[in-house]
Amino acid sequence: MSKTSEPILEIRDLKVSITDKPAIQIIKGIDLMIRAGEVHTIMGPNGSGKSTLASTIAGSPVYTVDSGEIRYKGCDITHAKADERARDGVFLSFQYPTVIPGVTMVNFMREALKARRGAEVPAREFLGELRETLAQLKMGEEFARRYVNDGFSGGEKKRAEILQMGLLKPDLAILDETDSGLDVDALRTVAEGVNALRRPEMGILLITHYERILNYIHPDFVHILVAGRIVRSGDASLAQEIEAEGYDPILKALGLLEGAAAS
Amino acid sequence: MVDAASTTATTGSGAYAEAQVSADALGRGEPAWLVRSREEAARAFAATPMPTPALRPWKYTELSGLDIESFAPDAAFAPLVIASVPTGGFAGSIAGALDDAAQAGAVEAAFGSVVQGTEGKFVAANAARWSGGVFVHALRGGVFATPVTVDVRAGGGAIFPRMLVIAEANSEVTIIVRNRSTAAPLLVAGVVEIVAAEGARVRLLLDGDWGAATDEFTTVRSRVGRNADVQVASLAIGGHMQKQHIEALIEGEGANSLIRGIALGDGDQHFDFVTLQDHMGAKSTSDVEIKSALAGASRSVYYGVTRVETTAKGAAANQQNRNLLLSDHAKADSDPVLEILTSDVIRCGHGATVGPVDGEALFYLQSRGLDRRSALKLLVAGFFASVLGDAAFAALADDMQERVERKLAVAAL
Repeated sequence: MSKTSEPILEIRDLKVSITDKPAIQIIKGIDLMIRAGEVHTIMGPNGSGKSTLASTIAGSPVYTVDSGEIRYKGCDITHAKADERARDGVFLSFQYPTVIPGVTMVNFMREALKARRGAEVPAREFLGELRETLAQLKMGEEFARRYVNDGFSGGEKKRAEILQMGLLKPDLAILDETDSGLDVDALRTVAEGVNALRRPEMGILLITHYERILNYIHPDFVHILVAGRIVRSGDASLAQEIEAEGYDPILKALGLLEGAAAS
Repeated sequence: MVDAASTTATTGSGAYAEAQVSADALGRGEPAWLVRSREEAARAFAATPMPTPALRPWKYTELSGLDIESFAPDAAFAPLVIASVPTGGFAGSIAGALDDAAQAGAVEAAFGSVVQGTEGKFVAANAARWSGGVFVHALRGGVFATPVTVDVRAGGGAIFPRMLVIAEANSEVTIIVRNRSTAAPLLVAGVVEIVAAEGARVRLLLDGDWGAATDEFTTVRSRVGRNADVQVASLAIGGHMQKQHIEALIEGEGANSLIRGIALGDGDQHFDFVTLQDHMGAKSTSDVEIKSALAGASRSVYYGVTRVETTAKGAAANQQNRNLLLSDHAKADSDPVLEILTSDVIRCGHGATVGPVDGEALFYLQSRGLDRRSALKLLVAGFFASVLGDAAFAALADDMQERVERKLAVAAL
């Protein structure tokens, strides 16, 4: 984490609305820069636009960029397709990973790795890497034979996401509420997995509602997202402040706390 | 290849006329009962109008441009049968069976007993003009150790494939029919009759990879005896139109019928499955699952009836039809029907779905680097997995996956 490392992600004055409801703008002007090796955390109350930002960086067609720019490793990817971004090394760990019946994890991950590398991956090599990554996440090999996210517990789904991150070796990993729905043990396993699979050239954008996961994955920067804007940025102490006092003082200061205004 | 002499359809002239049918049958030296059966079918053919959308199983199948009599029958048509036959059994041509004193009686007794030659336009055309018929006979307790393969290779004109399967008590046989044709216009009207006696196990796999200008109309009907198990699986991947009626008369106590279908459409392909699970035997069971994935402007139609007669106490039936639309121009109609005539059933389920690809699943796969086509290929493979993985398709499964993949590599998605 050096100040001189290359920017992985640069977001400039980004405004985003829902594709099917263009009148509803969720992100209302965000600037953000993540350099190689850095961990940035975005925190914020429900509905502030955290997941929208994550999905937009990954290229979800559900959202449309109204204005502004997303640059990844120096290239403008604002309008690139999701699969192009992914092949270039953008990875989104989903808050709610999708169930795909009939498709085994092993087949899916082999296709994904083939796409990421732009070439067929020899079966032996693939299985070797798969076994190694499964072991790092304390997952049994039978996991790979199950259908994608089908019947997975909350913890299994999140571990399966990190498994994919480990195999695909992204340069930008966006972890969208990877901590939600996990008990303490599952959270530790997943967070330790993320740490084990971190690489110096990778930037991480960690989206969370709670400070809990930051006990395991230490952020370099913390940003507070409220109503589609980053209203405060700071270091890890900002997350502790939120943990201690909640979002209310920040919302009150911005005049956004409706209940407080009436009292 | 159009037979000019047969274009004056309504008068019953040409190859489909009774006189011609009769003369051809006598010319082949067929026994008198068979000549009579063909003549009767020719009369039924002349008297029966083409099915119209007013008839429920034909509601979504446009036939107004189709003139059966404009297709000249290919009299030389005969599929290649390859089998390793257990002692006393038979697998070969019906003509050969009729020349075999040990088989002729069985053919005469069963032929036309499951599908009457007079019951419909296409069935009557078949019963009048069939050639190259196949007879498979498993004696009591006889087991065909390897599948019987029936290779159909057709050019243009019309072919009338016919198959009669007799599985005596506790026998076992698996039959794979590989349907192939050239790019020339071809009409196929097929009939398959299966008689499964007590405890018999019959597996029939239809591999429909016809040429692009083939229209197929086939009726497959089985009579399933006490504790017998008949499984029919159909892969519809080639051809211009495939319309298959797959029916089971589940007569015996404890009898089971399983029907599986997969259709993968592109261009202007039309796949049409009609199923019937007619439960008569007590504690009989049945299970139908038909899945279609449709690219381009292709279309699938499903109409299926589960009937539980008053005698079928304790019956259990399931009927599922799923349609996945891979393009905005594809279309599917699905109509599963239950007719339950007794209150004493274990369970009777049915379900139908028609819908586009799940956008979230597509984004999930694309967010891992798969381009749209690769993602759709994976989703279709997953969609078919429940049926392809079924034992009924086991003999074809690997080859089918490859062909599904090859077709999706170029389909209009």
